[in-house]
Order: sequence, then structure tokens, then C-alpha cells
Amino acid sequence: MEVENIQRRYRARTGIRRRAAREVEAVRGLSFEVERGELFGLLGPNGAGKTTTIKMLITLLLPSGGSARVLGHDVVREAREVRRHVGYVFGGDRGLYERLSGLDNLRYFAELYAVPAREQRQRIGELVELVGLQGRERERVEGYSRGMRQRLHIARGLLHRPEVLFLDEPSIGIDPVGARELRTTVARLVELGTTVLLTTHYMFEADELCDRIAVIAAGEIVAQGTPQELKRGVVEGRVVEVEVFGDAQSVLDDVRALAGVTSVSVEERGQAQLVVVRSDAGAEVTSSVLAALAGQRLGRVATREPTLEDAYVELVNRP
Amino acid sequence: MTSSVRIFFLGGLTSYRALFSWLSPWVLVPTFVLGPIFQILFFAYVGRSAGVGSDSFFLIGNAVQYASIPCLFAMGNTIDGERYSHTLGLLLVSPARRTPLFLGRALPVIVNGFVVSLFALVVGAVVLGVKLPLASLPLLAFVVAVSAFACTGLGLVTAALALRVRETATLSNLVFGMLLIFCGVNVPLSALPGWMAAVAGWLPLTHGIAAARELAAGAPFSAVARTVGAEAGVGAIYLVIGLVLLRFLEIESRRRATLELA
Repeated sequence: MEVENIQRRYRARTGIRRRAAREVEAVRGLSFEVERGELFGLLGPNGAGKTTTIKMLITLLLPSGGSARVLGHDVVREAREVRRHVGYVFGGDRGLYERLSGLDNLRYFAELYAVPAREQRQRIGELVELVGLQGRERERVEGYSRGMRQRLHIARGLLHRPEVLFLDEPSIGIDPVGARELRTTVARLVELGTTVLLTTHYMFEADELCDRIAVIAAGEIVAQGTPQELKRGVVEGRVVEVEVFGDAQSVLDDVRALAGVTSVSVEERGQAQLVVVRSDAGAEVTSSVLAALAGQRLGRVATREPTLEDAYVELVNRP
Repeated sequence: MTSSVRIFFLGGLTSYRALFSWLSPWVLVPTFVLGPIFQILFFAYVGRSAGVGSDSFFLIGNAVQYASIPCLFAMGNTIDGERYSHTLGLLLVSPARRTPLFLGRALPVIVNGFVVSLFALVVGAVVLGVKLPLASLPLLAFVVAVSAFACTGLGLVTAALALRVRETATLSNLVFGMLLIFCGVNVPLSALPGWMAAVAGWLPLTHGIAAARELAAGAPFSAVARTVGAEAGVGAIYLVIGLVLLRFLEIESRRRATLELA
């Protein structure tokens, strides 16, 4: 997959009587390459342009500029060739025919993807087993749980044995066991030679699965590399986590101003707030952070190695 | 069977089952069984009390026109329903050829329109005591089928518009009313203003209703062959317009990002 300076703009309209249109740049010139058999992750906050990028690569949207080729086929000029060889799975519980059974959903998409009639039965059977829907496949989808729907989506996306699979937040809404099974399935597909482009908000998922990752913010790639490179390149130092009971927000600016501190974020943890302080390599900031937080009621204090999530938070929050 | 043939027959039937919500008996019986009978009786009794037309005139006009309910609404739902279930994007990124894909979706709709219309014609005739010549019944059925085909062509045009706008049911309601007024269903074309009669000539059902009335009056098929041909021709024109519009609006939707995927 070769993506070169791909862009997408669209017009957003507001108002009813006095309608005003403004141009929104959803994707601002992304460039990346994905090798055959590679699992490439696209990470970024909501609205960063991940899904728009995927929509262009699966031929649902035309790029406003730049170009992209999938398996050597241009996504604009050779859309039908691209469609034959790619699969697409998105997260959530929509996108299925509710009144049909899971089996009929799969049969219908098998027809759309021209899976030969003599192979359909066997292929659908394999996939039903793969995603663990055996015994429930003849029931109407309207009675399926969210996890079952998501598994049906995955089976649908694999019907025609796509060489490239686009997974747009596929584990959203799946329980932890289902998410783990999904990761195992994705890893197995990659082992079998499928190229996968994955978007996810779960950093451990990206860390565990992806060979390489591109982090997108506001329609642009802000970093690209292996999970290890991203962790090393962005957060070389240590991470200090302090549990604060009270108003941590009021002293955050003081913590940010400390020498050696590169970024600070706060996560709500029930009654406590977890202040996450990332620091430069070699900087020992624990004592100065605790001093800055003096006056607050503190809980657990811990230092740890930076994770992909730390790298991600820093990358997308850079000015 | 090639994949296009399978998409046409099997895909068309599956999408009809998947998308046409009226297949529930609670909706189907009142809409397709009682609805046309009520419409026929209403206009027949209005005609009787006003001393205009005949029961046969109103029976045939309304029975044939009622085919437009499934032909417009079910056809519109083939795209609108996809949009509602968030499957439209998945459909459009599939490599399936669009002509068999969408024409296949029209086939069950034509059959639906045909069955509803024929049922209304037979039951309406029994209720009103209209005697239709037995010999003309197969030909009447044929004309009803051609009319359902023509109306489905118009339905495909409204379905195509669902690629740009939501809620084509509103448009289908408007078109249903227009067909009721323009096509000589309850008012002879000769009694309509000239421009309305001229428009009617380019609408589905107009020629079908006229041919059905002549057949019911005992005319041989040779006398109505040209009229039936005109009905089929109008249907074919709308079908082609619908396919072209689908193609155009699909490309536009990719350009303008007017589709919702998830």
C-alpha cells in the first residue's frame, strides 16, 4: 500500500435560513507505505482523520488530492480492482441486515464478493467457526449481542479472503475475552500473509499487534515507526504517576513548569485523579513533583517505564 | 450461474427480505390486502353517488394504480433501507456490478406490485359485482405485470435519489398522489387539463390502465398491443434513467462525502 500526500476536504454546512458552508480539511497530506504481510496501525484521537483515510483507501471516498495505490491499483482509477482484494470491518453494532440471520448476511456478502457458489458453504462454515458463532448463525441478527455482531462483521470482512484487511476500531464494544480472541485472529491472519491496516484507541492492542504505527493528529502524521521506536523517540525518560484526592487541576501548571518535565496529563480514577508526569531522560523529577503537589492529599506514587500510551498522549498533545 | 446472474436473482431476493420492513404481517395485510380494497371501494362509491363512471372504470384504475405502493416504496427502500441499516457503504465498496445488483432488487418488487394489483382486481371485482370476461383475465394479468414493471422503473429513480437525500418515503408519497391524479385512475384523461394529459403520457400506469380497461371491455389484445408497448417503453426509460442516476450519484457521493458508513 502506497499513500502519497493524500488529502480530503469536505464542505460542512451550518444554519437553516442563512446557510453557510465552510471547508474542513479532514486529512492534510498523509504519506505512508505498508508492506505486504505487515500489520500497520493508525492511531489518533477522534476526528484525527483515521476513518476518512480508510474510506479513501477502500474507495468509498475520492481523495481531494494526492494518490494511493493498494496492491498496485490506484484507488481512484482502478476502484473495482481494489474492491476485489480488500476487506473492511468497522466497529460498532450497525452495518448488518437485522432481519436476516447471520448466515444469510454472510451468504449475501459472499454473493456481492463473487465467492464461487461451490465454495460458499465451506467458507462460511469456516468463518462461523472462526468467530465462534456456530449454533447461533441461523438466528436473526436483531437478537445478537454487540459482541456477536462484531464477530459477524469480522466474518463478513474475511469472506473473499482479502489480501488487505482494513480494521477500523474493530474491538470497540467487545468484552475483554472477545477482544483477546480478536487479537489472536488478527495475528493469525497476518501470519497467513494478510496485510492489515488497523485503527484503534486501545494502545495495548496496537502495541501487541502492530509492526509499525503512524500517529495522526488533526489530519497529519505526527510520528511513524515501530511501537518501540515511538516509545523511545518520544518518551526517553521516566513516568511518574501520583494519585491525588482533591483538585489536581489547580496545581498542574506548577508541575508542568518543573525542570525536566515534558508533559503532564490527568486521568479520572474514581474519587482520585491520577497525575501522569513524563520527564526527560536522566531527569529525576519525583521529589520536585511531590513538592509541587504539597497541600494535596496524595495516594499511591509510582514510577514506571514509558508505554505506547505515554508516547501517544505526548504526540497528539504537542502544539 | 455467473456471479452477475446470482447477484440478480439471489441477491435481489435477499435484499428484498432484508430491507422491506413491510414484510411483517402487521404491516403487510393492512397495506397490501385491505388498502387497495378500501381505495377501490371509496372511489367506486363516490362514482356511484355522483352518477359518473362505472364500477369497472374505478376498479381497474385503482387496482392497477395500487401497484405503485410496493413499486415505489419497496424500490425506494432498496437504497434508503441500506442507508438506515448503515450497510450502504459496505454495498458500494463491494466489487459487485451495479446493473445486475440494482435490477435484481427490482425483480421481487415487480412481482410484489403485480400480486397486489391482481389481488385487488379480483377481490374488488367480487365485492363490487363487476364481471370481467374470463377470456381476458390472462391478458389483464399480463398488462398488470407490465404496469408493475413500468412503475418499478420510476421507483428505481426515487431509489437512486436516496444516494443524495434521506427519507425517500416522502417523495414516494408525493409520486403516489401524482400518479393517482395524472394517470386517468379516477378521472378520464380527456377530462383533465391538456398539460396534465400530456404529462400523463410519460408516466407509468397511464397506458397500462387504459389497456386494461379496453381488455375488460372485451377488446382483443391486438387492439391494445401498442398501448401496452407504450407502457413497457415508459418503464424501460425510467429504468435506464434510474440506473444512470445511480451511477452518477454513486460517483458524486464519493466526491462529496454524502454517505454515512458507520
